[in-house]
Amino acid sequence: MRKLTSLLLLLASLLGAFAVAAAEPKLTIPETVFDFGFVPQNAKVSHIFWMHSTGTDSLKIVKVSPG
Amino acid sequence: MEIIFNTGHYSKRQTKRPAITTNEGPETKYVQIVCDVYTNPDSTYPISIMPYKFDISQYGEKERSSLEFNVKNLSDQDLDMTLVDMPAGMFKITLPKKIKAGQTGKGKIELLKDQIKKEFEKSVTFQVNDKLNSRFTVPVKRTIRIPGANPTDTTTAKK
Repeated sequence: MRKLTSLLLLLASLLGAFAVAAAEPKLTIPETVFDFGFVPQNAKVSHIFWMHSTGTDSLKIVKVSPG
Repeated sequence: MEIIFNTGHYSKRQTKRPAITTNEGPETKYVQIVCDVYTNPDSTYPISIMPYKFDISQYGEKERSSLEFNVKNLSDQDLDMTLVDMPAGMFKITLPKKIKAGQTGKGKIELLKDQIKKEFEKSVTFQVNDKLNSRFTVPVKRTIRIPGANPTDTTTAKK
């Protein structure tokens, strides 16, 4: 009985460790290119790109660098 | 994520590719914007939008919340115009349904009620059904100057 309990505990801890290791953040951007077409000079134009966190851990945006 | 591009003194075809770094891993992800910056408002084809910048600013007590614009079809075929992109919850846009070759259609942009007290700089993108499915992006700006009063809110980072 003791052996069975130890085995179950070991199995549970291994599964827990695996679950922690498998948690990964993932960024999914459905639309990555946007064409404004003709745009006048000296003007500000804008577009919203949707970003989805599709991983199993929290996604953190560390940095955005202008292109 | 909102990408704002100031066309400044750029001209012709421009491509910008902002990079996004996350805790996902070392791989950087990118979004890309493309545009054709024109210098002469009369030079666009197959349509010309006038005014080419929508300024719905209010200078004074009288409320101003809409702007009419003209779309001239410079091509030799009838064109349909559709709205491709605009910020959510800010405007109502009415477009001319079909513009016959050589003719001019009328459109209107109206601010939604909760935007009337705000200042902003956004843009709207249209597309016509010519062979190239040409697109046109028009900047939309609102500034409020009322003597003795200040706007209650702004959506831009002008502070």
